[in-house]
Amino acid sequence: MDEPLALGVVAPARPHARWALRGLGGALVLTGVVLAAVELSRTGAWGPVLARLGLGAFGWGPLVGAVTGVMEARRAAVPSPALWLLGPAAAAWLVGWALVALGSYRRAEPEPVAAEPSGAAHAPPLAGWSDFHLSTLAAYGLGILGAELVLVLVQTALASASRGVGWGPPAAFGVALTLAAGVAFLGGFVGASRSRKLSAPEATIAVLYLGVPLPALLSVLPTIPALDATLGPRLREIIYLANLLGRPELGYWLVFSLLVLGLTFGILTGFVATASGRFDLRTGFELFVARRHVHVFRPRLLLGGLVVLLLGIIPPLIILGILRAADAVVERTRIRELGRRDPVAAAKALHEAQERSQSPTMMMTALSVGGVGVGVMALIIVLSVMSGFEVDLQKKILGTNAHVVVLKYGDPQAGMPEYPEVMKKAAQVPGVIGKTPFLLGQVMVASEAQVDGAIIKGVDPETTGEVTDLPRNILPGGDIRWLARPEDIPVRTRFRVDRPKKDDDVIQMPKDAPAGPPLPGILLGRELASSLRVLVGDPVTVVSPLGGGMGPSGPIPKSKAFRVAGIFYTGMFEYDSKFVYVGLKAAESFFGIPGATGVELKVKDVDDARRIASSVLNALEGYPYRTKDWGEMNRNLFSALRLEKLVMGIILSIIVVVAAGLIVATVTMLVLEKRKEISVLKALGVPQGGIVKIFLAEGLQIGIAGGVLGLVSGLAWCLFIERVGLRLDPEVYYIPSLPVKVEPLQTALTVLIAILVTYLASIYPALRASRVEPVEGLKGE
Amino acid sequence: MAFIEIRELSKSYWLHGKRIDVLRALSLDIERGELVSLVGASGSGKSTFLHVLGTLDAPVAGTMLVDGMDVLALPDADLARFRNRTVGFVFQSHYLLPEFTALENVAIPALVQRMERTAALRRARVLLERVGLAARVDHRPGELSGGEAQRVALARALVLQPLLLLADEPTGNLDPVTGEGIHQVLREVNRDLGITAVVVTHNEALARSMPRRLRLAGGKVEPA
Repeated sequence: MDEPLALGVVAPARPHARWALRGLGGALVLTGVVLAAVELSRTGAWGPVLARLGLGAFGWGPLVGAVTGVMEARRAAVPSPALWLLGPAAAAWLVGWALVALGSYRRAEPEPVAAEPSGAAHAPPLAGWSDFHLSTLAAYGLGILGAELVLVLVQTALASASRGVGWGPPAAFGVALTLAAGVAFLGGFVGASRSRKLSAPEATIAVLYLGVPLPALLSVLPTIPALDATLGPRLREIIYLANLLGRPELGYWLVFSLLVLGLTFGILTGFVATASGRFDLRTGFELFVARRHVHVFRPRLLLGGLVVLLLGIIPPLIILGILRAADAVVERTRIRELGRRDPVAAAKALHEAQERSQSPTMMMTALSVGGVGVGVMALIIVLSVMSGFEVDLQKKILGTNAHVVVLKYGDPQAGMPEYPEVMKKAAQVPGVIGKTPFLLGQVMVASEAQVDGAIIKGVDPETTGEVTDLPRNILPGGDIRWLARPEDIPVRTRFRVDRPKKDDDVIQMPKDAPAGPPLPGILLGRELASSLRVLVGDPVTVVSPLGGGMGPSGPIPKSKAFRVAGIFYTGMFEYDSKFVYVGLKAAESFFGIPGATGVELKVKDVDDARRIASSVLNALEGYPYRTKDWGEMNRNLFSALRLEKLVMGIILSIIVVVAAGLIVATVTMLVLEKRKEISVLKALGVPQGGIVKIFLAEGLQIGIAGGVLGLVSGLAWCLFIERVGLRLDPEVYYIPSLPVKVEPLQTALTVLIAILVTYLASIYPALRASRVEPVEGLKGE
Repeated sequence: MAFIEIRELSKSYWLHGKRIDVLRALSLDIERGELVSLVGASGSGKSTFLHVLGTLDAPVAGTMLVDGMDVLALPDADLARFRNRTVGFVFQSHYLLPEFTALENVAIPALVQRMERTAALRRARVLLERVGLAARVDHRPGELSGGEAQRVALARALVLQPLLLLADEPTGNLDPVTGEGIHQVLREVNRDLGITAVVVTHNEALARSMPRRLRLAGGKVEPA
């Protein structure tokens, strides 16, 4: 590793040669990495190598870890593949770095003429220029690492302590994340205020060497069984939480970036607060200047932005064009008329008219506000619609299904004859507010016209309303009570109109009322009823392919006639086309199962269903009973929905990021435009921190204006969708119209994050502004 | 001990790799309350010297004590406070902030040091009256004439009653009559408030009217 230093003697002085060396070196390093990566993918050694990298990120660990990983892979892979690419890869990597070092190395060039009075000890601004502050590094490192540890420890402690308290892991996570972000912020603040500058190298080292290992470790944990066995149980709360998201790695790195964000804010706040020599968070003067530089809170701009966000770009442009044209005609005419009588007044009016036209920076500002507004609006609308879907889905699933079901292990044909007792015991568990028995089976339903498969559920018409919305979902004309009293079902006889007259002797039709006991009632979903083409009062035949026992030629189907007692509509296509309900007694006799399949329960708090399910199981003394809650029964659906929401959020955040880019450009333009003013302000005694504050405030104003615009227009759109509604094809989307649910917390978070992003975006230009030398702008003339 | 003690001050630029020495081991004492004129050929480094004196530019070597304080050793934050409280600048061009009215421009140094808004504006109004611009307080710099703007800039330099006033050809862009008004104010504040003033000028008549006259040549100062 001493090589580049030794070569430094012959280091070329010309800049383009330097850059050529650096470029070549960088390309070689990249080539080495890519070659190694190709080789690793070929051998499938990624897991172990990444594991070692994550573990050994301190110091020289990565190299050692990678080598051991490859060794292990070689040992594991049979037959061992020839790793012929790895040698060149390592060589390219090393030579590349050497070239980069050579290109960056500078000899101290001897001065052609020695400075005359060398005795004067001095150059203080230079002396304190590029210090590396160890204490700052320590503060940053402790900040990020401490934040991670606090997050893990607090989450573990709270989540395991809260088992009985009733607030779940997500709530604990909220507390833990807040605390951890606070620690990261504090670390950044202390570090930056110690060095009185941002200290980017220290921050980079702290984040890379002390921050990255933990999330890297968590990400690779599942691939290393040995590590998983030792660390997994200790980190179980974290892993559990990340698994709720569907993709745990995504969760780890997302949280890690949040913590880094906290550190960044701390650093910036610390720098800005101490740059004036003491802790100074007052901003009166800086806001005063910033407000004059950027007029975003003007009614015209805000109203215009709102109109564009609400109506799109084209209609307001047309209106604006019309207004401008009218304005121009009227104003010009007025000025011309004025000019005939009073040239001075006319010149003044013309001057004023010209003054109203906007500067490019003004237009950039308006565009940035609009960009942030569009991003926030899109995020609010889409997230609200997805929340609407989720709430709607949950409502429908919970309307049709129970929150908790009690089942029994063993032969399904044995049933649960003791269900009244189970119901009694379950009802005593606190939190259970409804109970009903049910019997489940799979059948074919046949009408005169069609046959369709269905899930048949035997329910108790008296108590099923305690648990599900079935009685309330029945369309007018039917009645769930008819399941118990089939004789009340109005009989619909076909072809009544075409029936021949009574006095026809040739064709004698049977009398109206069929002989024998009335057919038992059955409830069909709306979709199923329409595909079978039956109405209330029509007979249908239910066929169970295996119900009739074994005959000489295989299983004999069992069939029974029912009469449609009602048609229900849940709004969920799957349920409306696949479920049929009969009375519990009828199902019992049809399937020959004694009692019921199980008991359905309703709980007071659906989010607490899992915990209540386990207390019900305790009350029933476990085996042979088991319980399932609604989340478990529909896990794939909800976790898919949640992941989709996250991904949508991330995708839409790109709009906000683009808007942030716009803000960087705008504030940079402002800085360039105000160079002279920055110099003057510095000459008048504004410290660097004050300049940073001014331009941060300008970016922040754009962000706040955009955020508020986006919030207002997003809420307006949500209201519009909710009130007016957008039709959907129910066969595709299982719901008739686009659902909207504005969640206050989610919306507030969206706006807040957008504003934070704009704040971050203005950091770089603000720092550039603070580095403008006072004499720089004063020399222009 | 003198108010300003400059020892062995050197300042160089590097232009296309060539070193240009502007100040060469310059030493100078200025007493409290002195009114000093500084003349010299164009490009002799008068402005640079004034910038270094006002800590807007850093020298490459040398020391400078102002009121016994080694200002070149100060970190940025203290330097900013020094510029704010101890030094008042008037430049050749007025360098007023275009978004603010004359009154607000004058009040800015006071606002920078967190003086209350109303108090700062009251003080600024007094100063503007003193330079004879009471009728122009609410005008923006773009609406002022050159002489008026320069008087506003002078008021801004004086609003915190600095110990040291640095003026870089304050009347260079003005006609003689308007310029004389500015000179008058300069002499007044020096006499009445005891403000030490260093005035760079091309105006020989003005330079001759000052009690102490200096000339910058070859990177050193000499009495003119």
